Formats: sequence, C-alpha cells, structure tokens
Amino acid sequence: MSLANFILPSKKYRQRASVSGLVILSVALACAYIGFNPLGFFTEFHFVQDLLGEMLPPNFDALWSSSSIGFSFLQTVSMAFLGTLYGGLMAIILSFLAAANTMPFRVIRAFARSLLSLLRVIPALGIVLIYVIAVGIGTFAGLLTVVTITVATFGKLFTEMIENAEAPPSEAIYSVGATQVQVIRYSIIPQMLPTFIANLLFSFDLNMRMAVWLGVFGGGGIGFQLYLAMRVLHYKDATAYIFFIIVLVILVEKVSDFLRKKVLKASA
Amino acid sequence: MLEVRNLTKSLPNGRRLLDGISFTVERGEFVGILGASGAGKTLTLRCLNGLLRPDAGSVFVRDEQDIAHDICKIRKRQLRHMREKIGVIFQGYHLVKRLSALENVLIGRLGQISTLRSILYGFTDDEANQALLALAQVKMDHLAGTRTGSLSGGEMQRVAIARAIFQQPTLLLADEPISNLDPSNAKVIMKLIKPLSEQVPVVGVFHQPDMTAKYCTRVIAIKQGKVIYDGDPKLSDQLLAEIYGEELTVIENKILVKQGESVAS
Amino acid sequence: MTWRDFRPTRYRKYLIPTLAVTLLSLGAARVCGVSLQKLQEGLVTSGLFIARMFPPDWQAFPEMLEPAFDSVVIAFLGTAFGTLMAMTFALLAANTIAAPWIRNTSRFLIGLERSLPELVILLLLVAAFGLGATPAILTLAIGCVGMMGKLLADVIEEIDPVTIESMQSVGANKMQVIIFGVWPQILPSLISFALFRFEVNLRLSVVLGAVGAGGIGYELDYAFNTLAYHRALTALLVILVLVFATERLSRGLREKIKVGDPLK
Repeated sequence: MSLANFILPSKKYRQRASVSGLVILSVALACAYIGFNPLGFFTEFHFVQDLLGEMLPPNFDALWSSSSIGFSFLQTVSMAFLGTLYGGLMAIILSFLAAANTMPFRVIRAFARSLLSLLRVIPALGIVLIYVIAVGIGTFAGLLTVVTITVATFGKLFTEMIENAEAPPSEAIYSVGATQVQVIRYSIIPQMLPTFIANLLFSFDLNMRMAVWLGVFGGGGIGFQLYLAMRVLHYKDATAYIFFIIVLVILVEKVSDFLRKKVLKASA
Repeated sequence: MLEVRNLTKSLPNGRRLLDGISFTVERGEFVGILGASGAGKTLTLRCLNGLLRPDAGSVFVRDEQDIAHDICKIRKRQLRHMREKIGVIFQGYHLVKRLSALENVLIGRLGQISTLRSILYGFTDDEANQALLALAQVKMDHLAGTRTGSLSGGEMQRVAIARAIFQQPTLLLADEPISNLDPSNAKVIMKLIKPLSEQVPVVGVFHQPDMTAKYCTRVIAIKQGKVIYDGDPKLSDQLLAEIYGEELTVIENKILVKQGESVAS
Repeated sequence: MTWRDFRPTRYRKYLIPTLAVTLLSLGAARVCGVSLQKLQEGLVTSGLFIARMFPPDWQAFPEMLEPAFDSVVIAFLGTAFGTLMAMTFALLAANTIAAPWIRNTSRFLIGLERSLPELVILLLLVAAFGLGATPAILTLAIGCVGMMGKLLADVIEEIDPVTIESMQSVGANKMQVIIFGVWPQILPSLISFALFRFEVNLRLSVVLGAVGAGGIGYELDYAFNTLAYHRALTALLVILVLVFATERLSRGLREKIKVGDPLK
C-alpha cells in the first residue's frame, strides 16, 4: 500500500480534496490579484473603530429637524407602493398577452414575450440611467425604475403560472359558448388571483429595499439623503437614518409576510 | 334534433379513428355510446359540440328557429351560438374549484349573456334565482355557496349537471359522466340524467354497459371507428364480447375481468 | 331560500379597498412627482440619447476586459468569504446544533442583515476603509449572510436529527458532528446557493463599482461622467455579456448538482 493510498484512502476523497484545494488556491490567487487581505478586516480594525466612534451616538434630531427628512421617507415608501401597484398591474396584463392559452394571436404573444425577455436582460443600472436621462434625477425616475424592474421580475413568472392553469374548467366554459374573454374572467382569473396578490405583496417587500437603493443613484427619497449625509461626513445623522431605514424595511417585510399568509390561507 | 352523418377522421399514418359514424337522435331518447378504449367513442362525442373537427362528415343540430346547422362547418360566433344550447357533462366535472356551486352553475349561461355584462357586474337576480332552482333540481341547493373544490365527486358532478340544466339546452352530451364515481353515486347521477331526456335528446359515452342497459333508451356500439350496433340497450353477452374483445369475462352485462386489469362495471 | 342567501356580495366588498388604494396611489403619485407629459417627452429624449450612444467605442473594448475581470474576481471573493460567513451563522442558527438563545440571536442577526441594503453597508465600509476592492468584497460577503444564512439554516435543520444524535452517542464532539455529519449532507445545497448568490453578487459588484469600488461598474460611471458616451455603451455591452454568461454558467452548474433546490 503506497503512502498516497494510506493518506487518501478512497478515490472520492481524493477527488474532493483536490477540488477543495483548487478552490482555496483560486481564492488565494484572487486575493493576491486584487489586493485584498482578508485578515485586514481584523488587523485594520481601528478604522472600523474610528468610524463607529464617528457614527455613534446616532443623531436622531436630524430626523425631526427638517421636515424634508420625513418627506424623504414618504417618497421612498411611495416609490415602493406605486412601483408595486403599477408594475404589478403591468406585469399581469403583459403576462396575459404573453401566455399561450390566453392570447391566440401569435404576433402579439411573440411581442409580449420578447419584451419581457428584453427587460430581464437589461441590468438595473442601465434602467436607472435611461430614466434619469429621460425625466431627470429624482423620485420619478426611481419610481419608473421600480415599475420596470417589477415587470421584469414577475412578468415571466406570471406567464408561466397562467399557462399552467387548469385546462378542464376552461374547456367546459368554452363548451357553453363563452368567448375567450369570459373564459379568462371565470376560469383563469379565479385560479390566478391568490398567487398574483401574494406575489405582489412579496414584490412590495422587494421594492421597498430597491427604493432605498435607488435613492443613491439619483432616485431620491431617503436613500439619497443618506448618501448626502455620508458625503458631507455627517455620520451621526447617517446612523439615525440607517436605523429608521432598517425599522421601515423590517416593518414592510412583516406586513407583507402577514398579508401573504392571510391571502394564501383564504384561498386554500 | 341531432343528426350525425358519416364522421371520418384519420391519423397521418392512415389509421382510421372514425370511419363513417352516422346516427340520428330525437327528443325523448337517452343514447348510450359504448366501446372499448380507443374505439372512437369520445372522439365522436367531441365532434358533436365542435371540440374536435373531423376530416369529413357532418353533425346537424337544430337551433331555436329549428334551422339545422352543421357543427363541423360553422365557426367562431356561430359555433358559440350553437354551443349555448348544448349542455356538456364531463368525466372530470370540469368545475372552477375556487368558485361556489352557484357561480359554477351561473357560468352555464355565459354564452347567452353579453361579454361586457358578464365581466363587469355578473348576473341578474332573476338568473341567480333560476340557477338556484337548477341546483335544487339536483338536490344541491343547500350547498350553493360552498366552493366546489371542497365537494365530493358525486356532488361536483351534480353541480355540473345543474350547470347544464341552467343552460336550458336543446341537446345534452355526457363524456363518461360516471367513470370517476363509486357505484352508489353513479346511480344517483344516472337517475338525474334520465328524466332530462324527456325534454332534450341526451347522448352519453359510457364504460358501464350495466348502467346503459338500465337507464338508456338506446345503445350505440362503436368498434375501431365504426358503428357496429344501434338499438336495444340490453346487449347480449356475445355482443359485449364483440365490443370489448374476447379476453373479457362478461356476466349479466357486467364486464368483470380483462386479462388481469379490472374494468369498472 | 333565495339566491341572496348564497350570493357572495363580492363586488360591494371590493369597493372600499379599491377606493382607498386609488386615493393612496394618487397621493403617492403627487409625492413622487409623476407627470405623464414629462415621461413622454423624456422617453423621446432618452431614446435619442441612447441612439446617439451608438456605435460602441470598439477601441475601448480591450480596456474594458481587465475591469470586467476585476468585477468577476470581486464577486468571486465576495461569494467565497460570504459563504464561509453564512455557514458560520447558519450553523449557529440551526436549532439542531445550537442552544436556543444562540439560535435565536443568530436568526435575528441574519434577518437584520437582510434588511440592510447592500449599498448602505458599502457606504459604511467605504467610510471606514476608503475606496477600492476591499469594502466591495466585504460588502458582498456580509450581504451573503442574509440570503444564504437563512437558506442554509433551514437546510441544516431539515437534516434527519437521527444522524446527529447517532454521532453524538458514539462520542463525537460538536465539531466532529459538524464536519462529518452535517457538512457532507448540506454540501450540494451549499454549492447551489453559492452559485445562485454568485450571480447576484456579480450584478451587485457592477453596481457597487459605479459607486467607487472599481471594476466595470466604475468604468461605466467614469465614461458617463466624462461624457464619453460611446465608451459607456461599450462598458454596458460588456456588462450585459458578463451578466448573461454568469447566469448561464450558474444555471448550468446548478442543473448538474440538481438537489431539491428550493431556488429553482
């Protein structure tokens, strides 16, 4: 029995060991390449300490002092709310146009499907850019971005859901002489409604986070205020903002989860 | 009331699924179509309301002005118009599970009301009352508000029948309506369908010769796409053997054993 | 009995909520400065602008390759270290391994991380460490904790407790249980989650780059700021290809692993 066999008894073990070795090696190489020192976080910790010193205690007065901060929060929530509402509606409409069992006209269907595919490919950054150029920096651009990304995210999903809807009830409704629109209204929509609503609620959760993000890129709202505050080194204000952002996001998440459970229970 | 002429349908490889099927059905008749699996009975039924189009042949149905239309030839709006008055009961019930029994029955008249109205505000009080009466006729009115998804098979089929009744049809079709039901429910359903045949011709596809013998007024047997028998619902054992193949053991119109499989009796 | 006993008063029930939603959305629209006219004119401007960005500056293309590679490396490292961090949190957040109070704290921290937008984390780290790859990698790593931490914790909890108990009963200590009992079983899921997160991290890496972390995102931002729009288009195209390729790769590898992946 050779030494290798003794240390690495089975082929599978050897395979796994070499794969792990490869992974560790590539990580090490990558670190060296990009100049990242993973231990730096701990050796240079004093930077973090300094920052924490500057950031704490949070300056909650910054929230009340100017009404514009409250307004900024309102803007961000509005962006998320409207973005979900409009985006969700558009996603639903588009998905009906793109589904094989609700849109018999190939041309329209092909158009809708390619539009949805296109939207999914364009990176979020590009979408923000387009809208900022179109309507300027601010919450309007942010809202449009949220709408577009919502459609991109849920359009294809909804299309698949519609195409997977039960066929038998639709067949029966056609058999009584109903038109396609009636079939959609009475067979497909009742089946889809609960999942649509549940997904839209989930989308609200996602969009809330997105709306904060977009603020930094010119979308306005509290994200922008946060960015500004950090830029001018008002770290204590920034911490206060961050605190409330977290509260807001968690709140929206809990509400969204709660309503989703209610909807799914009511439909079962 | 219903005249089927020479229905023909072939597969691309030449095999004939339907080969010159012809028969006529009048009011008062309850016709049961029997045949082995793949013989062509369900295909025939589907041709009767246009869910399937044959390669050749005609299906003449009379509308309320007593003008005969060929289901196989008419399209879209005319087909829809004819379908309003053709009731269909399916093997799988085909109800919208998330809607209540009452709503499912109301769906029966979707062809007869304008699209706009049906989308916006639904049905009138009068229509809703009539729907409830239809449910009462199948003894399901006490469950009118229940979601059909929570009903049993027999109850669902009764709602489906109520839906067909609500259409006030001139022709009633049934595609293996009792194949998914246990014997006692099957009997209930057959007992509900039978009296309807006094008002409208009923054509049903069945796998249960004992049921058709008891409730139908006439039986048509199809084998390999051709009508091989058309007459008295009580079939001789010989005839049954011919319809279903010699491997079957047949006792008193009940098919019992088929080479290791069990066939519903 | 009339139909009224059964007819759902559906339409009336929906009237008030619909009104409420309509009013809210009108208010929200005011707040966001919605203006259809602005949108119409703006889209034309946008369209023209994009048209003018064509053709892409092909000469700049080779210069984009290195930053693109940088973004990939950042995403890779962020995912690698993030997986480690997520693993740690996940082990602490599984009720089959950790004591209840550790478990609850860990779960809370994971949930907390999910509420923190990555951008905020980046801003903080940049404030601490300055611009560059380091804060970006750390941001991505921390970002992994939220998503992967929860998924991993759930997977760990779903392991048949018999395995763990049987190992403990032959005298293995916690560490050995984890290495030999837990680790092999969750490995496929772990890799699957990591691959999925890698996709996300690559997109994030690009975006974070635009805020100063370097890589192709930074190139894009720089090109815009210096009005070199053809160059910007080149950068955008490179990003598109990169994201698309990563998506394909990630999906392909995940297909090969094919465990009941909750993400698919």
